[in-house]
Amino acid sequence: MNSAEPTHATEMAEPQHDGDSEAAASPRADLYDAIGWVILGVVVVVLSLQMDRLQDRHINPLTVPGLVPGLLGVGMVIVGAILGLRSWARGALHQALPAVAENERKRRLRVLLAVILCCGYSVVLLGHGLPFWVASSIYVTCSILAFDRMSSDPVKRRIGLLAVAKALLIGVLSSVAVWLVFERLFLVRLP
Amino acid sequence: MLQGLQDLGSAYLSFMTPMTLLYGLGGAFVGLVMGILPGLSATLAIALLTTMTMSLDGNVAILVLICSYVGALYGGSRTAILLNIPGTAANAASCADGYALAQQGQAGRAIGIATSGAVTSTLLGVVFLATLTPLLANVALKFGAFEFFWLALFGVTLSGSIVGGDPLKGWMMGLVGLLLAQVGEESLYAYQRFTFGSEALAGGIGLIPALVGAFGLAEVLMALSDPIERKIHDLTDSVLPRWRDLIQYRWTVLRSGLIGVFTGLLPGVGEDAGAWVSYAAAKAVSKEREKFGKGSIDGLMAAETGDMSSVPGHLVPVLSLGVPGSAPSAVLMAAMIIHGVQPGPMLIVEHPQFIYHVVAMTTLASFAILLFGLFGVRPMLQVLKVPRNILMPIVFLLCAVGAFAVASRLFDIYVMVAIGIGAYFLRRRGYEMAPLVLGLVLGPLLDKSLRRGLVLSDGSLVPFFTRPISLVLATITIFMFLLYVPQFRSAVGRIGKTIARGARSALGRSSI
Repeated sequence: MNSAEPTHATEMAEPQHDGDSEAAASPRADLYDAIGWVILGVVVVVLSLQMDRLQDRHINPLTVPGLVPGLLGVGMVIVGAILGLRSWARGALHQALPAVAENERKRRLRVLLAVILCCGYSVVLLGHGLPFWVASSIYVTCSILAFDRMSSDPVKRRIGLLAVAKALLIGVLSSVAVWLVFERLFLVRLP
Repeated sequence: MLQGLQDLGSAYLSFMTPMTLLYGLGGAFVGLVMGILPGLSATLAIALLTTMTMSLDGNVAILVLICSYVGALYGGSRTAILLNIPGTAANAASCADGYALAQQGQAGRAIGIATSGAVTSTLLGVVFLATLTPLLANVALKFGAFEFFWLALFGVTLSGSIVGGDPLKGWMMGLVGLLLAQVGEESLYAYQRFTFGSEALAGGIGLIPALVGAFGLAEVLMALSDPIERKIHDLTDSVLPRWRDLIQYRWTVLRSGLIGVFTGLLPGVGEDAGAWVSYAAAKAVSKEREKFGKGSIDGLMAAETGDMSSVPGHLVPVLSLGVPGSAPSAVLMAAMIIHGVQPGPMLIVEHPQFIYHVVAMTTLASFAILLFGLFGVRPMLQVLKVPRNILMPIVFLLCAVGAFAVASRLFDIYVMVAIGIGAYFLRRRGYEMAPLVLGLVLGPLLDKSLRRGLVLSDGSLVPFFTRPISLVLATITIFMFLLYVPQFRSAVGRIGKTIARGARSALGRSSI
């Protein structure tokens, strides 16, 4: 039970939970958001008003399909306007957006890479003839190598033959394992 | 009463088969691993497992999901103690004392405290789950379209507080969730809304793809975007639960357990609130307040007990009212719907046994975490050594499979990716995704109830305010909403203080 040997301190590459706390947007950013929400709300109201009133079916005008979406659009306009007013009261017009720090620049680059890889896998690789496990192997392998290349550790950044072989092995093994578990064990059809 | 006990007994017996127990353990294991990994949450564990359990019998599938829910919250304390990073939001309160104990070379003891507190408080919560749910469900049986409308609106109003952040942003996300729920064919006249001629959109935005995107892909992007590396703390002492600690801090366990259950009962107050309120209460009555935040056993016990007992607490409104109070319970409710059980007032009529099944499932989940707490902590911590560059692409693979598996549509993967990317950027700007889930779940109910109510009243709004239960729900909803207005909140505070002063004077005590 408690006989297992001690786990030694290990250097980890684990995500922090500071993303959310860092995300506290500035008043200026909130103002931009508010403008976006108000525009979206207005678009929703307009689209709701354009929906069929189904008069030919003689239905009660208060049960038309556009009723709830229209009310939601109005809600978005109101909440967006309050958000905008609040950011204005907090000095949104006088405060510039905070300058982008070096860490934030790295973060953005990493996100961009992750989004490109995810979209590439979902839109290009999946469902266009490639077997699931092949498409997934390509995605996992490329992801591992790409993020190793962006690592702050100079040893990890060097992509040699061994690193490629290791990434490929992990990619193939994990993809085949997922394929086996879902398609064979849980009988779920995969793309 | 006797019928209830009989139902409960047969529910326990129905799960006593080796395969079912194995599924429960498997669910708890996956949940634990997800909880241990910072960034992956109980919500994601439930969302991913929902797709994996599609082919299972409904009861077994929900057992797996409940075990993973309990397991993830329990597992989250590991990283709080060893890394000073809460595995899930609910474990944040455990960081202060847990990590301080780890720094003093007592990481194993801290883990033991977390285990004993978690098991005891979950079992305590189960008692309330078994007794309160049927009572509340019987009241809710009197609900009609008007009452359901207020219930749905109440849920959306709660989205301002569901994550305890910015209420305005919470409401906005709630509205976005409700709006997404309007996409596709509406329920009264089969009219297609916001489909723009697309056949794929006519089927609506799938709940699972949206959930997996909002929690899975967004978490993957969050994790991969972080350039900072972390160290895990040494684990050198025994991880066995200290039952002596449990006996010594029995009042903390009881108090925090009750606080956890009752904060769980309040829709919109998440597991993290259970932990923090329990922690604050323990500190307020402790004789060793100065130790809090510096390695207090009392503090850690309170935090862990408070968050775990809120799980059964959360299940009460989910089952009886169909209103989820936290992100994981919202996903769990969605999973129940997918597995053919509609939580809410009609549950006690349509599936009366199900409430007792959930009680049995939650009990099994607490024993599963005890088992893993005794035998599995050290091996499972190895998972923390897997670099995120390897882990996160594999998690995304599971997200893609999860989104696709429900309806075998590639379109659902695109929905997952679109919502995931959007969710990441919104989260970075301070918007939380739990209200969006709440909106998605409650959207069809709100739409259907409002329009059905208007049909029944021939367009009149009066019955929405004059029927007794509607009036109560409307008053609560409007009151909850007004509580976000600072002037109203301070006025309520003043009235509360005046009443308290009056009560003290009436009792002959001196006012403070």
